[in-house]
Amino acid sequence: MGSFLKLLHRQFVVPWQEVVKTIRHNGASDGGYFPVLRGFFVQWARFNEPKHGKLVGTDELGNKYYENNRYFVARNRWVDYNKETWNQMWDYNASQVTPEWHRWLHYMTDDPPTKVPPTSRPFLIKHKRNLTGTKDCYVPYSTTRPKIESWKP
Amino acid sequence: MLASAKQMLSVLVRQNVRSIHKSAAVSSGAIFNHTDTPENNANTPFDFTPENYKRIDAIMANYPEGHKVAAVMPILDVAQRQHGWLPISAMNKVASVLEVPPMRVYEVATFYTMYNRNPVGKYHLQLCTTTPCMLCGSDAILKTIQDKLGIKVGETTKDKMFTLMEVECLGACVNAPMIQINDFYYEDLKPSDMEEILDDLKAGRTPRAGPRSGRFACEPLGGLTSLTETPTGPGFGVRDDL
Amino acid sequence: MLRIATQKCCDQLPSRFLPFLSTKSGAAVATRRHQSTDDKVEVFVNDKPVYVKPGSTVLQACEIAGIQIPRFCYHDRLSVAGNCRMCLVEIEKSPKPQASCAMPVMKGMRIKPDSDVSKKAREGVMEFLLANHPLDCPICDQGGECDLQDQSMMFGSDRSRFLEHKRAVEDKNIGPLIKTIMTRCIQCTRCVRFADEVAGVSDLGTTGRGNDMQIGTYVEKMFKSEMSGNVIDICPVGALTSKPYAFTARPWETRKTETVDVMDAVGSNIVVSTRAGDVLRIIPRLHEDINEEWISDKTRFAYDGLKRQRLTQPMLRNKQGQLVTCLWEDALPFVAEKLSTTEGSKVAGIVGGFADAESLICLKDLLNHVDSEGLCTEELFITDGAGTDLRSNYLLNTTIAGVEEADLVLLIGTNPRFEAPLFNARLRKSWIHNELEVALVGSKVDLTYSYEHLGDSTTTLKQIADGTHPFSKRLKDAKNPMVVVGSEVFSREDAFGVHAAVSAIAQNATVTSQTNRGDGGADWKVLNILHKVASQVAALDLGYKPGVDHIRKNPPSLLFILGADGGAVTREDLPKDCCVVYIGSHGDVSAPFADVILPGAAYTEKPGTYVNTEGRAQQTQAAVSPPGSAREDWKIIRALSEISGMTLPYDDLEGVRSRMSEVSPNLTRYDAVESANYFKQAAELAKLAKPQLVSKPLQSSQLSLADFYMTDSISRASKTMAKCVKAANEGLTPDL
Repeated sequence: MGSFLKLLHRQFVVPWQEVVKTIRHNGASDGGYFPVLRGFFVQWARFNEPKHGKLVGTDELGNKYYENNRYFVARNRWVDYNKETWNQMWDYNASQVTPEWHRWLHYMTDDPPTKVPPTSRPFLIKHKRNLTGTKDCYVPYSTTRPKIESWKP
Repeated sequence: MLASAKQMLSVLVRQNVRSIHKSAAVSSGAIFNHTDTPENNANTPFDFTPENYKRIDAIMANYPEGHKVAAVMPILDVAQRQHGWLPISAMNKVASVLEVPPMRVYEVATFYTMYNRNPVGKYHLQLCTTTPCMLCGSDAILKTIQDKLGIKVGETTKDKMFTLMEVECLGACVNAPMIQINDFYYEDLKPSDMEEILDDLKAGRTPRAGPRSGRFACEPLGGLTSLTETPTGPGFGVRDDL
Repeated sequence: MLRIATQKCCDQLPSRFLPFLSTKSGAAVATRRHQSTDDKVEVFVNDKPVYVKPGSTVLQACEIAGIQIPRFCYHDRLSVAGNCRMCLVEIEKSPKPQASCAMPVMKGMRIKPDSDVSKKAREGVMEFLLANHPLDCPICDQGGECDLQDQSMMFGSDRSRFLEHKRAVEDKNIGPLIKTIMTRCIQCTRCVRFADEVAGVSDLGTTGRGNDMQIGTYVEKMFKSEMSGNVIDICPVGALTSKPYAFTARPWETRKTETVDVMDAVGSNIVVSTRAGDVLRIIPRLHEDINEEWISDKTRFAYDGLKRQRLTQPMLRNKQGQLVTCLWEDALPFVAEKLSTTEGSKVAGIVGGFADAESLICLKDLLNHVDSEGLCTEELFITDGAGTDLRSNYLLNTTIAGVEEADLVLLIGTNPRFEAPLFNARLRKSWIHNELEVALVGSKVDLTYSYEHLGDSTTTLKQIADGTHPFSKRLKDAKNPMVVVGSEVFSREDAFGVHAAVSAIAQNATVTSQTNRGDGGADWKVLNILHKVASQVAALDLGYKPGVDHIRKNPPSLLFILGADGGAVTREDLPKDCCVVYIGSHGDVSAPFADVILPGAAYTEKPGTYVNTEGRAQQTQAAVSPPGSAREDWKIIRALSEISGMTLPYDDLEGVRSRMSEVSPNLTRYDAVESANYFKQAAELAKLAKPQLVSKPLQSSQLSLADFYMTDSISRASKTMAKCVKAANEGLTPDL
């Protein structure tokens, strides 16, 4: 009997609890109309799957890292990109994840940098996102002389 | 195993034998390119003397019209005798006399070793060191010259009097060892003879050319061993009735 | 027969003596005078009977039998040296293998080129040649086209028995064109013989002897010849290679395009090697009637001028007076608008030396469509008398190959050595082998052969024409005389007078030579005009006016300049408001003062028709595409015509060419020399117009080798040519 109730709880109550938690979790923080619902739908659109979880930490770019082990591995850690990308909605990129968080996010380690800060080395440079497709992107140029030299008046 | 070791060894030995036969490229040591030097360049003054022009005309007259270039060797010789050696300007002069491109003269002058394209002393000592002369003591002669004049082979004395060269066989093997000084052969030399010759030359005397051993030309050293009798006259050994 | 001829000419002039030519050359030198074909000798090659001309060599007999004998020193066009020994073959009853290149055939000779003895002899010779040859094929520029490489693969042994050290030879510096790696030299002496016999500059020779023998100049000097590049081709190994082409490409990487040269009016046949749209080098192509297998240094080495100073974008002059690049869509409507608003008589065109017949006809059709008659060539010619109406008036009528039949040549106001080096090479060849006599009225220059200098005054011409000059007597006695006038005399104010005098001389000589030959009306032409630029004959054929007098007299307000960079018209000659449209490939003399620049294609970039000075139409082929936005010249004019609403009635190459043949049919009869034959009428017409002569001496502008290299927009843009001028003027510098 108890197990049947458990099943019922799992089948009909927990999902709704999850929905409520998710909606609460994803509430937009920028005010405006219906921030709770709006944030939920935006999240849905961005992630295809609205989730809620524990905030593990925030990197220097403002990206937030969440973990919820209720989800199976590979879906239990995720990143919510910073405010800028939030505003631009679609312009986000995996290279915006900073290297120290990248380790945690990709399951190279279970210790997030908030728990085990990365060793600082003199040769480390500041992380920069991949600029391909932006106006600051790298444009390759030829280093050979042109075969034909044009006449300059 | 022993057999294979032997084989390996023999391969080694064979290779060694082969490498013993390796010889460096034999070169005359002469350089067949002209490089301008202070005493030898296109502006080195050279012109034939009037007497030599007469000689040149005589030489050129030996050859038919259109084949004047055949006179290139004797005329180069005239130039060399006049100047002592052949600067590039002399070769150019010869070319202009013969009306041929200078290159044709250079070709001849570089081919023959007796055209001296570099300065030589007043006396050009050409010591034969080929095998017969070497066996008869040309090394001692060479040492005598080197000690006396203080020059090595290929060098000229400071006073521009003597140039010493080692040369190959000059065809006087019977009278070995021998030396050619300018146009003359000095043969059957002993170190003392060589010193005497050099002293004479230094003193401005002309030493007697030919064998120093006292024999006549290349007759046997110990006197004639055959053909010693009086030559028979005409009719010797001929039938009486003829 | 030839041996006697050579001997005889040696007897006459000491300076003609050539050591290599003395006895052996007779058989090998191909000349146009050959014996009758009936009396032939039967020889057996591999037991197969072959009939050959008496006096030919064993090598030639084998070639007739279809057997290629390997050779290094033997060359068809040079005298026989017989020193490489590669062509050894076994001949029956001969105790040792014979050098087939120097061995004349005898009746019933049995030649065994494929016997074991022959094979062993070749293998042995090859082994000796390779004993001192460096194994640097991977870094050798000859690799892939090396005779030694090929023949050692074909005829050599697979290994050498020589373990001795190889000989090394110091490299020579013989100028900015030829790179020497003398260690690779196998002493075939082809270059020496070429320099002696063809180039006529005996700077090369063999020095030293035995193992130390080397090829060189002995003293360090430039190989001062206008044909020096040919030693690169005849060198069977990599000893003489091209300096500008060094380490550029392998022959199998390149695409070869058979085309025609336009650097002079001879129209040498060339092969352009390209890779990835880049012209890498130019080498000659065989054409017995034009260049044989030689080309001049300008033809061979000026190609780097095709990559510099190029017009790659259309340009318009902006309000500040500066030329700025624009699009075709901007430039063409601008010109079209000018063209349609300008009165026809105020439109004119000048064409330069590199214009092909296609663009000439397009420009002519377009300008005629707007009722303009101001179509001029930059190069001058006469307009009085018969002018350009009679084709015989402006052609090299005897033809270049015809020089070999001539016995007396009178050159007037020309230096063929630099104006047409290949024509001069023909003269020299004929001078050596056929006892050709040459006389010159004009500047005293070095023509590489001896000639009689008749001074440079016009009175001499008059006297020769009158028959009062001693030379007239010789001209009268000549069987096949030639009179060659350089195109430079037409820049004189008395050009017509000179031409008339020359026509008279030629006409007299034609008559007397017919009597001398005893064949009455045989087709021997005496009058020859030696042009300097490639486009002139085609332009005159198409009815262009020679010279820019018309433009000076009728100042245009719209002037088309089709590659004319000779400086015949400058901005000062034109009215202030004149719009100058430059169509061409190089920014040289005319482009800076143009208002509109329409970038055209150079001769390696377009299929075009050029007519050489003999009147022989030839085609160039596109080896590479025009750079940037440049287009073929005729297409530019065709597009312009469409935009200005006067569409020319053809839109492809065939259409243009059929239009060309409507105007002048000879222009599309490729490689045929259309003979022209109205000398008498031309001479008569000339008399009617009362020619005058002034006393200014007849002089040519190209006197020394330094004047040869840079004469047109392409060679002026070439760095190689600039180096040549420097070396010819100032002597060699070590870094060249």
